[in-house]
Amino acid sequence: MAVAPSATLASPRRKRRILLRLVALVVLYGLWEIAARTTRNPTFIPSPGAVWHQLIVTSTVHGGIRGYSGHLLIEHLGVSLRRILIGSAIGVAGGLVLGLIMGTVTWFRVVTEPVVTFVRALPPLAYFSLFIIWFGIDETPKLWLLSIAALPPVAVATAAAVLGAPTGLVEAARALGAGKWQAVRDVVLPHALPEIFTGVRIAVGVAYSSVVAAETINGVPGIGGMVRDAQRYSQTDVVVLGLFAIGLSGLLIDALLQIAEKRLIPWRGRA
Amino acid sequence: MSSADAVVLSGVEHSYGDVTAVGPISLSVPSGEFLVLVGASGCGKSTLLRLIAGFEQPTAGTVLAAGVPPVPGRGAGLVFQQPRLFPWRTVGGNIAMALRYAGQTPTTARIEALLERVGLQDVAKRRTWQISGGQQQRVAIARALAVDNPLLLLDEPFAALDALTRERLQEDLRRVSAETGRTCVFVTHSVDEAVFLGSRVVVLTPRPGRIALDLPIDLPRTGIDPEELRGRPAFAAARTQVGAAVRHPGVFA
Ligand SMILES: Nc1ncnc2c1ncn2[C@@H]1O[C@H](COP(=O)(O)OP(=O)(O)OP(=O)(O)O)[C@@H](O)[C@H]1O
Ligand SMILES: [Mg+2]
Repeated sequence: MAVAPSATLASPRRKRRILLRLVALVVLYGLWEIAARTTRNPTFIPSPGAVWHQLIVTSTVHGGIRGYSGHLLIEHLGVSLRRILIGSAIGVAGGLVLGLIMGTVTWFRVVTEPVVTFVRALPPLAYFSLFIIWFGIDETPKLWLLSIAALPPVAVATAAAVLGAPTGLVEAARALGAGKWQAVRDVVLPHALPEIFTGVRIAVGVAYSSVVAAETINGVPGIGGMVRDAQRYSQTDVVVLGLFAIGLSGLLIDALLQIAEKRLIPWRGRA
Repeated sequence: MSSADAVVLSGVEHSYGDVTAVGPISLSVPSGEFLVLVGASGCGKSTLLRLIAGFEQPTAGTVLAAGVPPVPGRGAGLVFQQPRLFPWRTVGGNIAMALRYAGQTPTTARIEALLERVGLQDVAKRRTWQISGGQQQRVAIARALAVDNPLLLLDEPFAALDALTRERLQEDLRRVSAETGRTCVFVTHSVDEAVFLGSRVVVLTPRPGRIALDLPIDLPRTGIDPEELRGRPAFAAARTQVGAAVRHPGVFA
């Protein structure tokens, strides 16, 4: 009831935005089609039709061959998403704990801050080699890579949010009889949640962009492995298809995170 | 200093950096007294209240509450100058927090009753930003009153309210404090409010705040109609005296 006026106000604007996006999509599609036709080189720029055809080929069993490299597209994607999910979950949990301690214990922050910043500055591929040496070429190094890549954004966001805890509200809780730990649980943490959530979205994004790197070695099944194999055999249409699969599922997951955020943190921007 | 003193300030001074905000002030508040602090903006009233609550440490002198240096959240309810509600909790949830910290079970009926007491109905489920500023301040008052502390510290709690609500809450607070024998330290800008509420009014000088006037208010605390109270000659006399001290603060203490 309380939100009704803003919803009716927003809907014409929303309609215009959706229309604008649709137009942009059609224009992009047109440009792509023109580019493919004028270059006449499917290895350089595959046509939209070729990519569409590959979508069907990789999603079905044809002549005894299952999808691409023995796995359907959806299976490649599923394996990658599972890696992203596990890696982000570990990274987010670690980042949360690390950030909380960083935000509350000064000497710990002084020690760990440069390390976290250092790791954040490294491209994930740079430390992947190290993980391969340590953990072999199976699932373990991939999950390590994604976890380590997802951890710093959450740690940094959490630490900053905890440090920026509003004194006034902490005092209000203390005045009501809250102990130090209760004040952290009931004020510092809920106040930090919006920022932490932004950190989580960034972390999932980083895990997403790292998964292709993680799957460059022994990555099949996996979208990254599929793209890499396709590149090796100059199947550009499959490469583009893989990019679409990653990008579109990424959009979807970020949208889900945004919806979760609106539901879980209605006080965003109010504290 | 007697053991019945709820609050004792001895030579208390407080500075923020090189700005002296209050003091030196020496003041004893006997148990059950309703002390009102009046003074110009920036004279250190909030600072004084924060010292008594235990949120600030005096840079000189000592502060005792119930005989010991005050610790926030122990034995004193506090209404800040700003509502300071928790936006991640609903209005009712804010009150529930106070009850929970005191080890009590927050029931819907209890929360409704506390809100009712400050004249609020049907707001328990609202978010804190969906109610008006004056309503937020009343929720803050209800939150501070949720637990029966022997000492109540209030920093201009009624400043943001409409005249009608303000009068209602003034009468309510006056009655409740007299009935329960709670000690109150109440900060206000309003001379009328000070004389109406206080059993004692202390006027502070401009910064650094010191005692300019310390006036006992000799009016009945119970069994008297507010209209009749305001009509008493003693009321008018006290108002004149406090008003004069606020306008021309001299250091007598
Ligand atoms: N945290 C702070 N740091 C530095 N100076 C402060 C701080 N808090 C208050 N002061 C200064 O101390 C003085 C007293 O402030 P205080 O808030 O106690 O005044 P007040 O009497 O409550 O004023 P008002 O009636 O406007 O609420 C003011 O001059 C203010 O500028
Ligand atoms: Mg003040």
